[in-house]
Amino acid sequence: MAKTKSKTKAENQTQMVKIYIMGSMYEVPSSLTIMKAIEYAGFKLTRGSGCRAGFCGACATVYRKEGDFRIYTALACQTQVEEGMYLTQMPFVPANKAKYDIDTLDPIASTILRYYPEVARCLSCNACSRVCPQEIQVMDYVQHCLHGEIDKAAAVSFDCVQCGLCAIRCPAEIPQYHVATLVRRLHGKYNMKPPETLEKRVREIEDGVFEEGFKELMSLPEDKLRHKYYHERDFVDQKKA
Amino acid sequence: MKNSYFPGCNLKTEAKGFEQSAIAVSKELDAELVEMPEWNCCGTVQTMTTDNLMRRIAPVRVLSRASKHVKELEGSPNQVTTLCSMCNSTLKIVNAEVKENPNDLEKINFQLENDDLVYEGDMEVKHFLEILRDNVGYENIAKKVTNPLEGMKIASYYGCMLLHPEKAKIDDEEMPTVMESIALSLGAEVVDWPYFKQCCGSYHIVDRDDIVNSQVVKIIRNAKKTGANALIVACPLCAYNLDNQQVELEKLGVEKDPIPIFYFTQLMAIAMGLPQKVNHFEDHHINPKTLLKELGLLGKKK
Repeated sequence: MAKTKSKTKAENQTQMVKIYIMGSMYEVPSSLTIMKAIEYAGFKLTRGSGCRAGFCGACATVYRKEGDFRIYTALACQTQVEEGMYLTQMPFVPANKAKYDIDTLDPIASTILRYYPEVARCLSCNACSRVCPQEIQVMDYVQHCLHGEIDKAAAVSFDCVQCGLCAIRCPAEIPQYHVATLVRRLHGKYNMKPPETLEKRVREIEDGVFEEGFKELMSLPEDKLRHKYYHERDFVDQKKA
Repeated sequence: MKNSYFPGCNLKTEAKGFEQSAIAVSKELDAELVEMPEWNCCGTVQTMTTDNLMRRIAPVRVLSRASKHVKELEGSPNQVTTLCSMCNSTLKIVNAEVKENPNDLEKINFQLENDDLVYEGDMEVKHFLEILRDNVGYENIAKKVTNPLEGMKIASYYGCMLLHPEKAKIDDEEMPTVMESIALSLGAEVVDWPYFKQCCGSYHIVDRDDIVNSQVVKIIRNAKKTGANALIVACPLCAYNLDNQQVELEKLGVEKDPIPIFYFTQLMAIAMGLPQKVNHFEDHHINPKTLLKELGLLGKKK
């Protein structure tokens, strides 16, 4: 793959920045996200790319900047390139995920320590919180786990997209994001009231309220289905809303 | 007066009765314990290696966050109050040593500055027992007593951490008086006994409970010999070992007639007629209510 290509007219008018992808220099438009810049440079992403909207956590990126000793992290689809970035992708994070039967547990600290005893090794260095692209106070929820404050740990960790960057920076080798999954399951199962609307809807489904409607849909030919889907459906106009 | 209060992990899990009784009592005595926000584990035994500064980030972070908390509490002195004697020891030792070694503090602060947090070395660490002795005063405790603990003969158990080492001790290591003085001001009798700081066996409970048992049996037999009918403690681990292992010793046929283990704050709450629920007696392995009922001390309100 050529590292420099002749510039198009559009490129000449666009402000370009120099970035380094796994050690090789590329010039890319400064308006691109890291993910688009990697593709612009000619790479095809087969891992480390998912929803491209900041929700799936697949595109964890680790980088440094020229002349700056610090390690930075980001989601590649959510972060614009900057001059002098040294980039690499983290397509996968090795981290043990405990197996448990959520119906047989207690929502207390010792449950978490049984499945993730390494939680007790937390040094309170806060490296995890500093790398979190979701700006979650990761260390604080790890500490809430130690205190048995399941509700707080669930609330603080709620925005986690499971990119795994916390786990690779942790000197205590805790897989924080898997711990957070256990915590939120415990909270949902044991601390929260079942939502009334959900129970009502499940009853409706079980009572067959929607069966007629589904039967009708299933019997329609494709063109009629398409028409229903694209023209008859109630749309919320995002621009007006 | 309000005190910035650092709970420690055990106060939220195994020792809820210690925390809740202490907070209730502190409000009665105008020395309210106000929990600091977003605290982390004190670091416990791992902080004891002086050459591994990574291990000391945790206690220094506690001190710096407490310093911030103190500024939010009106009229609070520059100090953080603990209940667990292990947390107290850890925080006191590290606080003293980073003050003595500014280079160490600077290195630890490199880790904290990323979080817009550095420790200025401006805090003191106090155990709640020290607050009761030095700020509240025994006579003011006695004034709040509505249900004197008549018939209680208390052996005050200090364990290792309250009296050692020099940097962390809260009282004289050979002749401590603070727990006895509190018990006396509650209307109880106290016993003079030599095992007040015999180690309970500590973390050996995890994999060598035989070691803990051999310690507990010595401590309990000595307490009984001096006529004590209850022990008071200030450490969740001592409490667990003394409480749970007496039950185990009874099962093993080694020692009968277990005596109840109280946190000193639980007895204060009873003597002050505060609501029962703060004591969480349901978490104890030896039911403390049996003795309290016998002595007619249960269920009296202020």
